[in-house]
Amino acid sequence: MSLLRPLSKLPDLNAANVLLVENEEHFQQKLADVMVNEKSVIVQVRLAKSLPLPMKQEKSRPRIDLVVFIVNLMSELSLHSAEASLKHLAPGYFLGKVCFMVTNARNASVPAERMEAVRKLASALNCPLLFAEDQTPDGVTNAAERLLVILRVAAGCVPMTTALFLSNLTRCTISTEAEQQNSDYDA
Amino acid sequence: MDRHTSVARTPVSSVVVQRRSKSHRLSYRSNVGTMSHLGYTPGFSKRRLTTSRLAPKHSRITEVNPEQLALLVREWQLSYVTPLYRFRHGQLKSYSRQLAAFMVSEQQQGVAAEVGLESALKVSFTLVAGMAQTEEEANTVFIQIHSKPPFSAPDDPQKLLWSGWLTSVGGNPDYLRSLPEDFVCLPLFCSGGTEGLTALVKAWFQQTFDCCFGPLEINSVNLQWLAALWTDCHARSSIKQLKLVWSLPAEPPLEVTYTVHPQDAWELWRSIRQPGERGGEEEEDGSVGLEEVACFIKGLKSHFYRHFRVELSAGRLTQVSTALGSAKHGGRLKISNSSYMITTLTLLTECALLKMPI
Repeated sequence: MSLLRPLSKLPDLNAANVLLVENEEHFQQKLADVMVNEKSVIVQVRLAKSLPLPMKQEKSRPRIDLVVFIVNLMSELSLHSAEASLKHLAPGYFLGKVCFMVTNARNASVPAERMEAVRKLASALNCPLLFAEDQTPDGVTNAAERLLVILRVAAGCVPMTTALFLSNLTRCTISTEAEQQNSDYDA
Repeated sequence: MDRHTSVARTPVSSVVVQRRSKSHRLSYRSNVGTMSHLGYTPGFSKRRLTTSRLAPKHSRITEVNPEQLALLVREWQLSYVTPLYRFRHGQLKSYSRQLAAFMVSEQQQGVAAEVGLESALKVSFTLVAGMAQTEEEANTVFIQIHSKPPFSAPDDPQKLLWSGWLTSVGGNPDYLRSLPEDFVCLPLFCSGGTEGLTALVKAWFQQTFDCCFGPLEINSVNLQWLAALWTDCHARSSIKQLKLVWSLPAEPPLEVTYTVHPQDAWELWRSIRQPGERGGEEEEDGSVGLEEVACFIKGLKSHFYRHFRVELSAGRLTQVSTALGSAKHGGRLKISNSSYMITTLTLLTECALLKMPI
């Protein structure tokens, strides 16, 4: 089966492996270059355009601790490709080992419906939704740092914390109309 | 609006109940939830609909009004305007005099004291009837600036330097009602002419009526709406062709012009509107949903992919044009047929209302 499974291999000592999935294959390279410089854990970054991953490298691939879907809001294709890739992940990943990262969210030509669709997707899957700025080196560094926080927890390198617990705190939430009105009155 | 304290008010939804009864750990989660909610609110006030419910759209046939023909002539640049303070429809003549005086004085600033021979301008403000949809909506105002050479006889043809119009077509009635007394809401401003004159007119409006102007772009979803609505009119008046222009992010940027034969576009649209049926009667109930529009565009894109292996979703829709009009992403609009003008302008008024910062 071509499903990617979270716990089918043995972990390495003090290592964290992350898979960056992006249709444009642009931001993932920059992020990878920054993330590999991390000192406290040995970070291995794998890059992919979409899932399923090719079978021939199945043996040499380590256990993937975190899968990050990078969605560029400027193109609809990015979102569709990410949605199509989701089907190839085993359900075990959705307990805190999947994260969505969105670029170009501030661009005025992005229709609001697309942002809404990404939010709904992230909150339906209980995953965190991060916003990143990919044009400046500072933006890339910030995004990499935030991903490393989640990655360290997902790889088990932080004591007393699991990926599921962290995702409970960081997951994307959408409030419905009724909750919005309630919180507006309470505030 | 009377405010209840959070203790006395019975929470309506079950999520709020959970917030109150669980431990402090989950209340941190509710803080995070609230913060993400605050981050999510994109500045829409409660008075306006969110775009997710933009479903029903009606295409109607209206009679041709001779004043509206002036709106068909050129390509307009769109902007949004915040509500105008103390704009009276009865004082249009005095506004035209004031605007002419303002423009003349602005043009003479910095020029040595010389009686500007070509600076005589004639401004006219007129009302265009038949565009306001409800009782509360303000009537459309059409502004024209002609140049008046000083040594000409009164019936010489005057050169039209600039024209523009302020309109509100089918604006949200709740919002219109919620405005304070002296404000008139005409959120869509269309200008045609040189940039310098447009800037002067905007400056005069800002000075006189305390309003703000801003650029209105038509984003890709609204362009898709226009494509679908115009195709929908094909049964009654032919659209001649449906032309879509996409820009794809390649090196150098690739521009794709996709021209669809009107009959094919109409067949596709009809098959989406009435799946499985061959429509005999004409539908009078013309409300169009957002899913139908998305389906229509998806059909066009997948056809393109099948033939050319180019995925149009990777790019942006920048222009839509048919025989009924053309709209570009940068906010340029041309209306070529007055029968379906109202629908187009309703969509654009709604865009302007949503883009306004208040």
